[in-house]
Amino acid sequence: MASAEPRSYRWSMPANWWTRNRRYFFYVVREFTALPMALWLLWLLYDIKGAGSGAAGFQPPRSAAFVAFSAVCFLFATYHSYTFLKLAGVIIHLRVMDKTVPPRVIVLTMFGLWAVASIVIGAVLIGFAR
Amino acid sequence: MAEKTITIKATRFDPDKDAAPHLQSYDIPFADDSMVVLDALNYIKAHVDGSLSYRWSCRMGICGSCGMMVNGTPKLSCSAFLRDYWPKPVTVQPLNNFPIIRDLVIDMEDFMHKLKTIQPWIIRKQEIPLGAGEHRQTNAQIDEFRQFSQCINCMLCYSACPVYGLNNEFLGPAAIALARRYNLDSRDEGLTKRLPVIAESEGVWECSFVGECSVVCPKGVDPAKAIQQTKLDTTLRFTLPFGNRD
Repeated sequence: MASAEPRSYRWSMPANWWTRNRRYFFYVVREFTALPMALWLLWLLYDIKGAGSGAAGFQPPRSAAFVAFSAVCFLFATYHSYTFLKLAGVIIHLRVMDKTVPPRVIVLTMFGLWAVASIVIGAVLIGFAR
Repeated sequence: MAEKTITIKATRFDPDKDAAPHLQSYDIPFADDSMVVLDALNYIKAHVDGSLSYRWSCRMGICGSCGMMVNGTPKLSCSAFLRDYWPKPVTVQPLNNFPIIRDLVIDMEDFMHKLKTIQPWIIRKQEIPLGAGEHRQTNAQIDEFRQFSQCINCMLCYSACPVYGLNNEFLGPAAIALARRYNLDSRDEGLTKRLPVIAESEGVWECSFVGECSVVCPKGVDPAKAIQQTKLDTTLRFTLPFGNRD
């Protein structure tokens, strides 16, 4: 006679798993920052669509609440970018002249490129505004 | 002078009697600073309660059998020193994210199945005859995969991974790290055989880079690195011209 399958206790993830470890918490914060940023970008796309029908159609929100929301999104975007670029050394595996590029060099390069891109985009936007 | 003691709270679960696991406390002598959690469990089994079940073998962090949650953190119980916890109690539980068979013993069947799917051995399109000599490798070629070959299948990384905890269809950190170990090996030609498993949605793309797998690894393997680098490699293979070459 075939023996019955031994019974085991099925483990399940508690809903508060992300509060039990500091690194889990910051991981969830990192992932969460993408949500307000996505909402802000959707709003930006809506503004761009309005601008497509002429200057009259471009009505960017100027309320204090939206400015505050944008400031929060900026902080979230900065945090998200920082955490992403900090991990670049883990993700990118480069060999130059038959030698592995140290992760630290990759991370610093990424932060340098981030700074350059921010300055260029900022200059272009300010230039257009004038 | 009273004997120094430490309290061990261990999970007990008898599938024939208990509906759910519960903790049981044991006060045991703590006379030697070199005692580890596994020594405490062995003391309980030998002197207090012979019915306590747990896995162990080498006692020196090599076999990977004695992984448990020690005060909520996945650790090899042979490498967790009691002196780091005393005088507070030490709570020893089975590894998170796995079914519990009895007490501290988990069911690893899911991992064993996944391990086979990534074919963790050197695959050659055509074997070189023995008479042709060894497969020679330079130190640089060995350094490419050396750290991933240190994995001892202890399951601490699966236990620390909330992605696996939420979706156990995920291939998981150790299996992907081992797949990368063979994919980076200059002797191996099995990448295209492993890709259908590691590059699918429940493979590397399920990982959202929590990174805890690399933090808890007792052998210094970096499974998070293996997973992210595999994501990059598979993306480049897919997007670059001639990227799908063998």
